[in-house]
Amino acid sequence: MEPAVSNGRLEVSCGKKIPKSTPCPRPVPGEASGGCSFDGAQITLIPIADAAHLVHGPIACLGNSWESRGSLSSGPELSAYGFTTDLGEQDIIFGSEQKLHESIRYIVSRFAPPAVFVYTTCVTALTGEDIEGVCKAESEQLGTPIIPVNSPGFVGSKNLGTRLAGDVLFQHIIGSTEPEQTTSHDINLIGEYNIAGEMWHIERLMQQAGMSILSRITGDGRFREVGWAHRAKANMVVCSRALLGLAVQMERKYGIPYFEGSFYGAKETSYSLRQMAYLTGDRDVERRVDKLAAREEMRLSLELEPYRKQLKGKRAVLYTGGVKSWSVITALQELGIKVVGVGTNKSTAEDVSRIADRIGDDAEYIPEGGARQILKTVRSRKADMVIAGGRNMYMALKEQIPFVDINQERHKAYAGYDGLLSLAKQLVHTLQHPVWELTAKLAPWEEETEFAD
Amino acid sequence: MSERLNIVDHNQLFRQDKYVRQREEKRAFEAPCSPEEVTATLEYTKTKEYKDKNFARTAVVVNPAKACQPLGAVMAALGFEKTLPFIHGSQGCTAYFRSHLARHFKEPVPAVSTSMTEDAAVFGGMRNLIDGIENCIALYQPEMIAVCTTCMAEVIGDDLSAFLANARQEGALPEDMPVPFANTPSFSGSHITGYDAMLRSVLETLYNKSGRTPQPGHELKLNVLLGFDGYTGNFAEMRRMLGMFGATYTILGDHSSNFDSGATGEYSYYYGGTPLEDVPKAADAAGTLAIQQYSLRKTLGYMKQTWGQQVFSISTPLGIRATDRLLEEISRLSGREIPEALKQERARIVDAMMDSHAYLHGKRVAMAGDPDMLIGLIGFCLELGMEPVHIVCSNGDRKFEKEAELLLKSSPYGAEATVHSGQDLWHMRSLLFQDPVDLAIGSSHLKFAAKEAKIPLLRVGFPIFDRHHLHRYPIIGYQGALNLLTQFVNTVLDVMEEQAPDHSFDLVR
Repeated sequence: MEPAVSNGRLEVSCGKKIPKSTPCPRPVPGEASGGCSFDGAQITLIPIADAAHLVHGPIACLGNSWESRGSLSSGPELSAYGFTTDLGEQDIIFGSEQKLHESIRYIVSRFAPPAVFVYTTCVTALTGEDIEGVCKAESEQLGTPIIPVNSPGFVGSKNLGTRLAGDVLFQHIIGSTEPEQTTSHDINLIGEYNIAGEMWHIERLMQQAGMSILSRITGDGRFREVGWAHRAKANMVVCSRALLGLAVQMERKYGIPYFEGSFYGAKETSYSLRQMAYLTGDRDVERRVDKLAAREEMRLSLELEPYRKQLKGKRAVLYTGGVKSWSVITALQELGIKVVGVGTNKSTAEDVSRIADRIGDDAEYIPEGGARQILKTVRSRKADMVIAGGRNMYMALKEQIPFVDINQERHKAYAGYDGLLSLAKQLVHTLQHPVWELTAKLAPWEEETEFAD
Repeated sequence: MSERLNIVDHNQLFRQDKYVRQREEKRAFEAPCSPEEVTATLEYTKTKEYKDKNFARTAVVVNPAKACQPLGAVMAALGFEKTLPFIHGSQGCTAYFRSHLARHFKEPVPAVSTSMTEDAAVFGGMRNLIDGIENCIALYQPEMIAVCTTCMAEVIGDDLSAFLANARQEGALPEDMPVPFANTPSFSGSHITGYDAMLRSVLETLYNKSGRTPQPGHELKLNVLLGFDGYTGNFAEMRRMLGMFGATYTILGDHSSNFDSGATGEYSYYYGGTPLEDVPKAADAAGTLAIQQYSLRKTLGYMKQTWGQQVFSISTPLGIRATDRLLEEISRLSGREIPEALKQERARIVDAMMDSHAYLHGKRVAMAGDPDMLIGLIGFCLELGMEPVHIVCSNGDRKFEKEAELLLKSSPYGAEATVHSGQDLWHMRSLLFQDPVDLAIGSSHLKFAAKEAKIPLLRVGFPIFDRHHLHRYPIIGYQGALNLLTQFVNTVLDVMEEQAPDHSFDLVR
């Protein structure tokens, strides 16, 4: 059965229906909250590995965050450097545009990056620094693109920041360069951040089917490469929540059709590859995808056999953001795991309907965050494990619940056919660890002793 | 089991042929310059000329070795029982603090935000603060809420004191709930100043609330402060030492249980900390003992001035002499003799230092970290006959420089050292290339420069993201000296062994 979303997506891409853009939910004061817009913007742009990323603000925004992403680069590593203007009181009072000028010049002269991204933070937005002006002046002066990213933390959630970063890509970068050559099978991946090298798996699959990635947006991306994204034949939006808007804008301006897809699970992977092939309009590529998918699914099914046996009937609570909330469900179902609870706090209405397509009313929906809520679901639904991101890991471990990290800090790639195998292994590995035998039993002195008469 | 599963992590996976080839092919897109040029440029960045340019840099910070004030304030707040850190500002900061601390301690970190957005930026964050207090009390049932600000709230000039009064008036904040608050903009100071500001506020708030008048020396008790301390093991070690003296004491700001709780099967937001009612009583103590200075300036000042406390403070007591001083002071303040068992312990650790001295003697080291940690490290290195050469302190000031320089002058091993306060890890990189050393000591952030310079990193300080459990081992006291010594000497031996030619691949070292 084709995933129910496919028709809807195609219609959108053909311009029949404009997707409803619901505003990102406002954070609630007094709750444990997720990241801010600045964080979201960084997450999207930092994978552009050869660019310099300069945070214009006090130490907080960079000092607490640099070097903490799992996006891998196959070459340049400049984006891993922590650059900040580290503003002090004097800068706040008297302005720090001069400092920003100097910082940009220093970075360009010493590191010679193809571009510098300059991030606004809460403080520099509030004090009204003319960051766009500085960037414009320095771009002209230095002949290097200096790109303002206007996404201070207070404008909203992480998702909003990702959207704003998408706007930056669209306004300042895409369309700024031309590829040396194009083919009729060039695809852009949008919202794929190459966590633990996932993009490389996908790229290999695409190559096997005769397609290639024109621009990586942005996992393992290069600045110039993002610039020629407008020459692609199709866009695949891998993480829909955040960068769908970019795909919509690109369709309007450049007529590039797009679709939303995922690489978690064999079915989703095959579906995504088919969709790509369809949009290239080449029957031959489509046939190659069909063959590839059939071959890989067959191979995978054999290799998965032993793991499926061990995972069958296991129950999981899934707490992750956006696209992963539904796409990982498919992957888990393919492994025989029952998803009994799912977080929807970072999901769009469409994401939620996709979740419903996959698990129906069978599972508990966890709309709001908070450790308690997740743990309650685990207990009430008798789950065997929690699959979530790092922030919830230690809470789960305190409760002695097996935990698998699915978010940005993990070191394992779960995308594509091999990724599903890798996920299966990781799940089995986690569930089989002998520590659970320890936690399943009371300490000897806590056991009730039965006295013989 | 894992062999059967044949688990390959990404490091091995991407060394496989197909991935190596893929990378090579991709070079076409990303390398406008030749490999020779890359090598030449890389070499250039190791030259004196580049170092001079690097040190002439004023505007931009490259690879900082400090975090911001509210991060420290969160740590201070978690030193008290059932206390919820509450951060007034936009939400992202709070997420950063939680993940930063969680990555170091491998523990969940409770902290909430007022989640200010654009409207709050325009109209002020009072509504967010009041609603936030109401929500977090309902959700997390704290007994104390410790409010600190981010730079955003500071820039728009939110008045916490007035907002909190309004919150009480509106009934959102119960009359009897203590709410210490601290102004902690990240555009001044660093995590250690934020720690200080919050701790001071907690002491003052709880003390004022009690309505007592201080009677210093009324009780034969000690107050003990550990400051911004990334080692939960230090708390246990401090307790062990004080216990051996038979001293009675109150640790003011004990975050060790909140950052080192057991997997009992039940998650809680609050695992321990200094009981709130112990704080006012602390004003009657015989004296106060602090093992950090730079992170406790305001707090100790308050205790001296308002409580009239007799205060003794030293930087992190690493090594023998600093521990000697600490024990002498505990003895003086508590009126008890230094216990025999501790004297024996000292002799054993000195013995251990002699066992290892040949391998550490004359080793040149570079170090980066917080001022209190660095003073302790310099002292210990000098005792070990190691030579501190580059000392980088992003959040150091003139006073720190003077103290460090004075300490270095006290030993011939310190003769070569230079102290760089206000500098960052990119400066450190230049120093490592221009004047090479054998070892680097510092947080995980230093690993990249150390790797490039091909020297091992001894992980000491905060944050340590990439090694497990180091924070559970104390580094203070004689026992701590032994732990650090073990870490140092065995790293040196590992390196020796890696580099040893066959004829000196010895069994006994």
